[in-house]
Amino acid sequence: MDCQDVRSQLLDYQRGRLEPKLRRDVRAHLETCGACAHTEEAEQAMTELLERRLPQHPASLALKRRLAAQWPSRPLKKDSWWNRWGRSVAPAFAVAVALLVAIPLFYERAPVRQANGTAIMVAEAVNDHLRLLASQHPLEVESGGIHQVKPWFTGRLDFAPVVSFVGDQEFLLQGGAIGYFLDRKAAVFVFKRRLHTISLLVFRGEGLPWPSRRLEPIGGIQAYPTAVRGFNVVLWRAGELGYALVSDVDSRELLTLADKLSESP
Amino acid sequence: MWSREEPDLGAALGREALAYVDTLHNTARYLTGNDADADDLVQETYARALGAADQFTPGTNLKAWLFRILRNTFISLYRRQRNNPIVGGLDTVDPFAQGPADEKWLRDDIELDRLRNIVAEEIEKAMMRLSEEARAVILLDLEGLTEVEVAHVLGCAVGTVKSRLARARAALRQQLGDYAR
Repeated sequence: MDCQDVRSQLLDYQRGRLEPKLRRDVRAHLETCGACAHTEEAEQAMTELLERRLPQHPASLALKRRLAAQWPSRPLKKDSWWNRWGRSVAPAFAVAVALLVAIPLFYERAPVRQANGTAIMVAEAVNDHLRLLASQHPLEVESGGIHQVKPWFTGRLDFAPVVSFVGDQEFLLQGGAIGYFLDRKAAVFVFKRRLHTISLLVFRGEGLPWPSRRLEPIGGIQAYPTAVRGFNVVLWRAGELGYALVSDVDSRELLTLADKLSESP
Repeated sequence: MWSREEPDLGAALGREALAYVDTLHNTARYLTGNDADADDLVQETYARALGAADQFTPGTNLKAWLFRILRNTFISLYRRQRNNPIVGGLDTVDPFAQGPADEKWLRDDIELDRLRNIVAEEIEKAMMRLSEEARAVILLDLEGLTEVEVAHVLGCAVGTVKSRLARARAALRQQLGDYAR
């Protein structure tokens, strides 16, 4: 197999679509060819980028309602025993058998998947913070107070960021901007603690690999504090929204701010 | 589940079909470029699917069938309105014959790291700079359709799907390179 043959099979190789013999040949080539191994890594990075970050545009509720009204509902009718029970019980039985086999495998690997997912969220929060720091004009709205910043997000996001803490002498609210957290838009609130910048990202929380372990009760929330690359990060959920707090300030100070942010209005 | 023998075929099919509305809307949004046209395209797709419910073969992939209707609807309603080059060479060049030069900006690990850190907004912009044909094949692949199903949706040979997808991803990588530098 030469490089051209291997590259034409890379996507199928990564998706597990190749016959065993061909798969072995591709793997053997990748182990000895640095250029093709690098191309394979680039393809994988591209797939992960698209799967995790390409913005999704789901249908609006209004469109869903229109479509649901467009399709006629199923009329009631007398059904045979098999139609009423057999068709529902048989698939359920099959699913039960499949689950009995799959659940042990799932739980064996679940902690690893969860840890990877959490690491991705933490890395994303830090990267977003770094982008903000590197930006020449990080703030799209300068703060004259929370009641100036929050309304600015109206019409710019498909959700209302719930932030009740208006800033104080310890944590001054500087302003806000629109950012992205993985595949979704985020409201970015920027606070100052002495000379340190603190980013608060608020985003829709569904469909993300939220941590379920090492949670700490802070105020009324269960938060996940951690540190990576010298930055402290706190993640938590409240209702449908997710929150990520990132800064190089001391972890206790960041938790103090998380506590203030978690308080109900 | 429903079967062809049921008299309320459209209703049963509709319930299953509506489960795909988000993913169809997402693809429609990337094809049309705006929410209003995407809404219209999805609504027309479901109207046509409802009218053609008896043509659906039970046991085949409903999602792929809906994507094919969406795609054909897009072509009939939108593509003719534009002077869109569409295929634009996706089928005319062997993507695998170009060799390592295709990866000009992904030569080292630093550049790969830059690729991994591109933000969502930039990916969307890069996608929208591709031809509609390239966007379609990338999205269908992301949706988990097999090459055979993608070929059915696009109305082309299976081998063509493979080369189109490779060309489309190469084009996207080049576009993303502009943002990663």
